[in-house]
Amino acid sequence: MTAALLGQAQLVGHAQLVDPFTPFAAPFLGRPLLLLLALAVAAGTVGVLVHLRRLEFSTDGLTHAVFPGLAIGAALGGTAGLLPGAIGAALAAAVVLALISRRGQPRDTAVAIVLTTFFSFGVVLVSLSRGSGGSISDFFFGRLLTITWGDLGVALTLIAIAVALIVVTARQQLFAAFDAAGARRAGLPVLALEVVGTVAIALVVVAASASVGTLLALAVVIVPAAAARALTRSLPTAIALSIAFGAVTGWMGLWLVVQLAQSGVDAAPGATVALTMIAGYLVALGVGALRGRRAAGTAAIAVDGGAAR
Amino acid sequence: MGLDFTALDFFQLAMLEVVLAGALAGVVGVLVVLRERAFFTMSLTHATFPGAVAAAILGVSIPLGAAIAAVALIGVAVGIGRIRSQGPAVASGVMLTAGFALGAFLQSVTPLAIDVESFLVGQVLAVTGSDIALTALVLTAALAVWALAGRHLIFSSVDEAGYRRAGLAPWLPETLALAVIAGTVVAIMPVVGAILGVALIVAPAAAARLLVRDWRWMLVLAPAIGVASGVLGLWASRWLDVAAGGAIALVAAAAYGLAWLVGSLRARPAGAARVASAEQRDPAAHATIEKRHP
Amino acid sequence: MSEQRDAVVEIQGGAFGYGGAPVLTGVTFAVQPGEAVALIGPNGAGKSTLLAGILGLAQHRAERFRVPTGKGEIGTLSQSSAIDAAFPVTLEQVVAMGRTPRLGLRWPGSGDRAVVADALAAVGLTEHRRTRFGDLSGGQRQRGLLARALASEPRLLLLDEPFNGLDQPSRDALIETIRTLKARGVALLITTHDLELARAVCDRTLLVNQRQIAFDDTDCVLTLEQVEAAFASHVMEIDGHTLATTEHHAAEFPEHRHPFGDDQLGEPAGERDEAR
Repeated sequence: MTAALLGQAQLVGHAQLVDPFTPFAAPFLGRPLLLLLALAVAAGTVGVLVHLRRLEFSTDGLTHAVFPGLAIGAALGGTAGLLPGAIGAALAAAVVLALISRRGQPRDTAVAIVLTTFFSFGVVLVSLSRGSGGSISDFFFGRLLTITWGDLGVALTLIAIAVALIVVTARQQLFAAFDAAGARRAGLPVLALEVVGTVAIALVVVAASASVGTLLALAVVIVPAAAARALTRSLPTAIALSIAFGAVTGWMGLWLVVQLAQSGVDAAPGATVALTMIAGYLVALGVGALRGRRAAGTAAIAVDGGAAR
Repeated sequence: MGLDFTALDFFQLAMLEVVLAGALAGVVGVLVVLRERAFFTMSLTHATFPGAVAAAILGVSIPLGAAIAAVALIGVAVGIGRIRSQGPAVASGVMLTAGFALGAFLQSVTPLAIDVESFLVGQVLAVTGSDIALTALVLTAALAVWALAGRHLIFSSVDEAGYRRAGLAPWLPETLALAVIAGTVVAIMPVVGAILGVALIVAPAAAARLLVRDWRWMLVLAPAIGVASGVLGLWASRWLDVAAGGAIALVAAAAYGLAWLVGSLRARPAGAARVASAEQRDPAAHATIEKRHP
Repeated sequence: MSEQRDAVVEIQGGAFGYGGAPVLTGVTFAVQPGEAVALIGPNGAGKSTLLAGILGLAQHRAERFRVPTGKGEIGTLSQSSAIDAAFPVTLEQVVAMGRTPRLGLRWPGSGDRAVVADALAAVGLTEHRRTRFGDLSGGQRQRGLLARALASEPRLLLLDEPFNGLDQPSRDALIETIRTLKARGVALLITTHDLELARAVCDRTLLVNQRQIAFDDTDCVLTLEQVEAAFASHVMEIDGHTLATTEHHAAEFPEHRHPFGDDQLGEPAGERDEAR
């Protein structure tokens, strides 16, 4: 599927006589591309864990929980305080989310309350401090094309830590995701695994929201893994496909931004990349459904053949 | 509408809207909490975003655009939710991301200056008479749905398999619930915005759930907490000069925290009595029981 | 006795519970390596609490309490099958999960892979190792989860109603596996309602109903009088298997689930007093 998309992209590119590679040699496009590729690796590890454990809502909760941290950080330390503030808020929210998942209250409701409480706290803080006018928009939609080498370095470090956390605990995470009760009986530290997993998600969310906005963080963590699951039933293949999907759609989305900019349309880069991922996801769903139908067809033929024999 | 809205100043208008929205959010929140649809509601608020932006570009009614986009994305999400490898959580996640991205994209490519922040956190002080009329209308519809189909909604929420076995079609209460939730989201978005709207829907109902056991009492208590949160939050925002949407949501969250505290305090004396009686009957049980892993 | 010294499990005067009054008292028994002990009693007798207590998931007090405590030394197979059939894992990957308690954060080596292959062979599912777990039959899944327990090379296996809901071939295969494990020196503690199966594979039987009623060689324990005393009801035969039924008619509901520790929590204290 990825190969098909790639070919398609090149076809379109040649039709418009636009080279899909050269623009990225410019640093203002090379940096976002590098970040999107790193986020693709996060999609194949953190994203797959989110998918297997159905933590989509918790992830959304984390993206909003970062907000008060940004507000506090900005109030205390200006621009330099943003990142520590975001990390602090995200880690606090990660621990809260991991802990409430063990309580009796349905998880769905609990996540909603944590999410909205953190966020409204941030809204009130911002309204108290004033001054930081455009920060909410920046926070949600990011500034993909204007990130600096410094932003990129921080983001890559955070993503690397998150990916390392998941890779090191991968086996236990898989066991706990598959059968939490069985993992607890086998003596695995299920709560600690939950905290480690949620912290890894939080780090990716912080890395993305400090640079490309929470919208893209959410898209990268949720969409590639879901697309991969539509295409394969094997876990290793799903991981590889998620990474490939994230990388290809990220690159295509960025290329689309350049094309739109050249034709005079100033589209939000984060939103364009996220929409490209959604479009790729819908294609993956279609391909998966077609393959499923064909597989069902061959199974029926096999049964018929068996009966004939 | 017999009320003359022009006679009210902006704060009184806001107060009226907040009372209606709090009641509506409470009534519908019971449905959201009992059916565990909080994530769905959250993603629905984002799904209305592109519709609202498109309506603003085309110059048509914004709630209408929001409602159309919501219905379209619900259709996609229901389809995705039925695919075995995807499921409802993925469906909600994709609906949220898609709505958010589409809205942001549309907003960025138009020359119109659309206030994204008011979409997210609302503008209760800029509420108009038609907003209030819409909220009142949806509130009436939600109350009618509860009065006519309440028993069906509860039965199918508690035990969908049993509902199906009883020869009833579960898609009917499901569709009804989705329609009421979508209507509520569209109606109260101008007040508290997308994200804080979820707070006003979920927190009062969740608090009521902690305090009472009968769903009919939840239907009384949740709107009461919703209205109280709205009124208190609005007053607090005026006194302390903070964002109204944020203040309302924080009061609702505080109400939930209070309910949780009351609930756990109420549970404790009963538990303590049980332990005491057990110790009276069995002195041996008084001896400390140690764990294998200290 | 020399065999008492190397017992895998040794409990004297044990009581088990969840903080309040104990659910099960007066427990004294031992399980030797290579020995299978049947744990029999009506619903609510405290069987699951005892298993949870051995795992450290329920509380206990005892004069003497020796159970394996090392990582992966206890393997479990429970009835709770709240497992998502669409989860993208093969049988082999599920069995490999059982190895994680021993591995810690280490990556598996060739020795670990050999253990996993061996566990798959022990339950007779080697040819299905690449099948997706959700595509296996109910009996095969149960055996797959047993292989997962074996992959941690346990000294003690706790099997909670392992024969419930199994078809005849899976039942035979499971009995065969249990015999193989005994020959390898694994100690087993098996809860069951099926007295015939207890006689077929278990050397000794522990009969409980809120307190210990008997612990001895299976044939001595499973007399009609003892079982009737424990179950306060009657014993019946279904499909050639002697089953002990209770007021709850547990035998009529082969799907009846009670994951470790869940079924004892809501029990009123008064009922326990009557038994004492």
